[in-house]
Amino acid sequence: MQDVSSGKPVVTDTTSSILDRAAEAAARATPVTLAKRVRGISDRTVAWLFIAPTIVLLLAINIFPLIWAIQLSFTNYRANRPNEPIKNIGLSNYSRILTDTDTWIAMQATAHFVFWTILLQTVIGFALAYLIDRKFRGHAFWTTIILVPMMLSPAVVGNFWRFLYEPQIGLFAYIVSFFTGIPPTEILMLSSVTLAPWAIIIVDTWMWTPYVMLICLAGLRSIPDYIYEAAEVDRASNWRQFWSITLPMALPFIMLAVLFRGIENFKMFDMVNLLTGGGPGSTTEVASITLKREAFEKWRTGFSSAFAIILFVAVFGLANIYVKVLNRVKSR
Amino acid sequence: MADVSLRGVSKAFGDTQAVDELTLSIKDGEFVVLLGPTGAGKTTTLRLIAGLERPDSGSIVIDGRDVTKLEPASRDVAFVFQQYSLYPHLTVAENLAFPLRSPARKLTEDEINSRVADVAKLVRIDHKLENKSTKLSGGEMQRVAIGRALVRKPVIYLMDEPLSSLDAKLRGDLRLELKRIQAELFSTMLYVTHDQIEAMTMADRIGILAEGRLVQIGTPKEIYTEPANLHVAARLGQPAINLLPADLLPETAAPAGTRTIGARTEHLTIRKAANSHADGTVDWVEHLGDQNHLHVTVGNRKLVTLTDPDTLFERGDRVTVRLRSPLYFDGAGKRIAG
Repeated sequence: MQDVSSGKPVVTDTTSSILDRAAEAAARATPVTLAKRVRGISDRTVAWLFIAPTIVLLLAINIFPLIWAIQLSFTNYRANRPNEPIKNIGLSNYSRILTDTDTWIAMQATAHFVFWTILLQTVIGFALAYLIDRKFRGHAFWTTIILVPMMLSPAVVGNFWRFLYEPQIGLFAYIVSFFTGIPPTEILMLSSVTLAPWAIIIVDTWMWTPYVMLICLAGLRSIPDYIYEAAEVDRASNWRQFWSITLPMALPFIMLAVLFRGIENFKMFDMVNLLTGGGPGSTTEVASITLKREAFEKWRTGFSSAFAIILFVAVFGLANIYVKVLNRVKSR
Repeated sequence: MADVSLRGVSKAFGDTQAVDELTLSIKDGEFVVLLGPTGAGKTTTLRLIAGLERPDSGSIVIDGRDVTKLEPASRDVAFVFQQYSLYPHLTVAENLAFPLRSPARKLTEDEINSRVADVAKLVRIDHKLENKSTKLSGGEMQRVAIGRALVRKPVIYLMDEPLSSLDAKLRGDLRLELKRIQAELFSTMLYVTHDQIEAMTMADRIGILAEGRLVQIGTPKEIYTEPANLHVAARLGQPAINLLPADLLPETAAPAGTRTIGARTEHLTIRKAANSHADGTVDWVEHLGDQNHLHVTVGNRKLVTLTDPDTLFERGDRVTVRLRSPLYFDGAGKRIAG
C-alpha cells in the first residue's frame, strides 16, 4: 500500500493510511445515508409532494372562499361597512331568498334563458353537424367559418350586438324590417319587455351553437362507416338510418353538449350584463345579475352569499342527476 | 337465390387499380371463395357486387338483371363485414330483425319473430337474444352479424373475411358451421379470405386474385394440383411449395423449357444416404406435435417438407432428394407440365 522505499517513517505512513481510510469511509458514508434517506420516502409521500402545490392552490382560491361564503351567508355582513359588528342571523337570509318574489322572477328569467338557448343550440348545432358531416366540397372551410363566433370574447360579442340591435342604425332591425315591413324604430330588441329576453337568447345561440355543433360532429364522426353500409345493404332508408343509428349513437355526445351549455348558461353574466344589464325592468335579470346587484350595488354581502350558495347547490345537484342519466344512456 | 356475374369489371381508387377487367360468374347455390393477399382486390370485388362501390367500367348482372347502376338496397344482397358491424344500441334480437323491418318487405311481427328465432338457432346465439350486442364476445358478435345476413333470403351472401378477427379455435368452429349452414340453405355465397385453409375447406370453387385480376378459378383440387402459374401454386399448401431451379436435382424428367420446378411434400422422396450419394443435408427438424417440418439444404437452396411425427431424421443427416412428378413452370412462371 505504501511505498517503503520513499524513506518516510513507517509510523507516519500507518497513521496517514488510517486517516485516509477514515476519510474514505466518511466520504462513502455520506452518500449512502443520503441515498437511504431519499429511498426512505415512500411512493405515497412522493405522490403527496407532487400534488401538494395544487392542493394548496385549490384550498386557497376555491375551498377557502367557498367556506367563507357559507359562513357569511348566515350573517348580516356588508362589505362596504367593514366596521359594523357582524351579527349571526341564522337561516333568515335563506328563508328570505326562497320566499322573495324578486328572486323567483330572476330564477324564472334564468330558466327561460337556459331552456330556449339549449333547445335552439342543440337543434341548430346538431343540424349543422349533420350537414358538415356529409363531407361536401369545402366542408373544412365552412366548419372554420361557423366556429368564428365561439372564438370571440363575450365582451366583444355583447358590445357589437348592442350596435346590431340599435333600432336607428343597427343591421338587425334593418334586416328584420326589410323582410317584415315593420319600421325599424319599432324593433326595440333591447328595450322592449317582450323582445329583450329573446334578444339575449339570439346572441347566446349565435355565439355558442358552433360549440354544440363541434361536440355533435365528434359524435357523428365516431360512428363507423361500415355501420351505415350494413344498414344500406339491409335496405334501411336514410330516415330509418337516422333514427336507428345516427341519433342513438350520437345521443351521449348531444347530452354532453347540453350539460356543458346548461351549466354555462345557468351562470351567464357577462354577455347579458353588457347587452341589457338585466333590463328593461328585470325582464332579463338572470340569477347572476341579481346576484351582482345584491352583492355590489346593494352591498348585501351576507344575503348574496346565501343566494350564491343556493345557486351552487342547484347547479351542482342538477348536474349530478344529469350525469347519472348520461352514464345510463352511454352504457346502453 | 340466383346466378351472379361480373363482366369485365374495373375499379380504380386514384392511381391504384383495385379491380382490373374482372370476369366471374357464380352459379346458383354455389360457394365461391376469392383467395388472395391484401390489396388483391377481394374486398373491392365484394363491395362492387353489393353496390357499395360503383365500377369504372364493366357490368354486374344478378339473376339476368343488370344491377350495375342500382343502389345497394335494390340489389337484394346480404353483406357480412370484416368488423363486427352490429347496431350497438340494439339487442341481438333487434339486430337480427333489423333487415326484416325494412318497409320494402311487408312482414308481420309474428313472421319476423319466427324468422329471428330460426336464424338465432342456426347460428347458435338463441340463448342471448335479449342481450345488448355490445355485451357479446367477438365470436358471438360475428355470429350475430352472419345471422343478420342469413335472416333474409337474398340472391347472394357476400362475406368479407368474416372470421379473420376471431381466434384460431373459434375460426375453426365457425368455418365448419358456415359450411354446414350454406349446405343446409343451399345458398349462393361469395366469400373473401386470405386464409388458404378456409378456401380449401369451404369452397366449391376457389378464385385466385392477384393485383385485381382473376388468375385462376376452379375446384380446390384443381387449384391445388393444377395451378396455372407460380403465383397460384405459392398460395396453397402448408408448408409452402418449394420452388427450385430446374437443374438443382439429378434424374429429373423436366420437359423442354422448364425453368422452375415446384415441389410440395407429396412430390419429394427423401432418404438417408451415404456421403458419396447424398444431394443434401438435414438442416433442422421443426416439431409441431402431430407432424414435423423437415428443412433440407440442397446446394444453396433450402427445402421445407412434411415428415412423420416419429421421424428418424436428425440434424446433420446426409440425404438423397428425389422428385416424384412435380410441377414444371416455364420462364414466365406458367405451368407447362406436372
